[in-house]
Amino acid sequence: MDINKYSPLTETTYYILLSLIEPSHGYVMMQKVEQLSDHKVKIAAGTMYGAIENLVKHRLIKSVQSDDKRRKTYVITEKGIEVLKQDYKRMSHMIHITDNLFSKTDK
Amino acid sequence: MRKFKLFIDFDKEEQWLEEMASKGYQLDSTNFGYKFRLAEPKAKKIKIDFRKFRHSTDFWDYITLFEDSGWRHLAGSKYSGIQYFEKVDDRAIDDIFSDNDSKAKRYKRYAHSSLILAISNFPLLICLYFTGIIDPVYLIRPRELYLTPGLWDKSGTSFWFSFIFETPFALFRGAAWTFIPLSILSYLFFSYKANKRYIQSMIKK
Repeated sequence: MDINKYSPLTETTYYILLSLIEPSHGYVMMQKVEQLSDHKVKIAAGTMYGAIENLVKHRLIKSVQSDDKRRKTYVITEKGIEVLKQDYKRMSHMIHITDNLFSKTDK
Repeated sequence: MRKFKLFIDFDKEEQWLEEMASKGYQLDSTNFGYKFRLAEPKAKKIKIDFRKFRHSTDFWDYITLFEDSGWRHLAGSKYSGIQYFEKVDDRAIDDIFSDNDSKAKRYKRYAHSSLILAISNFPLLICLYFTGIIDPVYLIRPRELYLTPGLWDKSGTSFWFSFIFETPFALFRGAAWTFIPLSILSYLFFSYKANKRYIQSMIKK
């Protein structure tokens, strides 16, 4: 399972994966992404549909059974969580070294 | 009211449909040309996506996602590819795409779908050739398409009368099949154009 090829994730993909820690359907995902990003990332319907299709294809998310007949529900897969964690570590490292350098040089 | 128009540029098609809406023509269906019904003239936001669906559940899921986000599905079917949406919620984002890549990719899907159509028509062409319906001999000797006995020995008014009378039949016998290569060519043309537009919009970031 090669998860390195997904790194770095785009901001949109990162938030979408994060929005699927709990199962949700497309529109709820759009709202969650907006909330999580402090209203900075707004995904339109057509873009969201394509992103879901793409993430399912790469098996980072999967569709799950739900009572809603008109809306498909998705949840993040284990591979998706791995990818998310990997990117989280990458960003943590960047934040950490940036903090250190800034405090040392008093920028 | 029905109108027949051909677009290769989705942006221009969207503009035209918005213009029609502002004149009071509401898009109803696109099964055969553009069918409009009379409505109150109104400034509208109309956007186009390109997607085909294998399963009805996928199609419903797709339309529901748009409707949840404030865009009503105006026209298009499971297999038609081109899907038309109209913004109905003022709070919705002004476009159905929020980044350039996903907006450009509709052209990629369009190009791919046209190419598939062109390829799937090809076996039909071969079949017609082997069943003798397509006979290139007629291109070299079109005279053989005319079946009136002794037509070519006639002269004057008698000749012209019979000749003109039979021409539509001869054309049908000899040229009806050209519909298939012509549609293959036009699918290829659409595919080429859409692909070009895809590449252009990817560069135009």
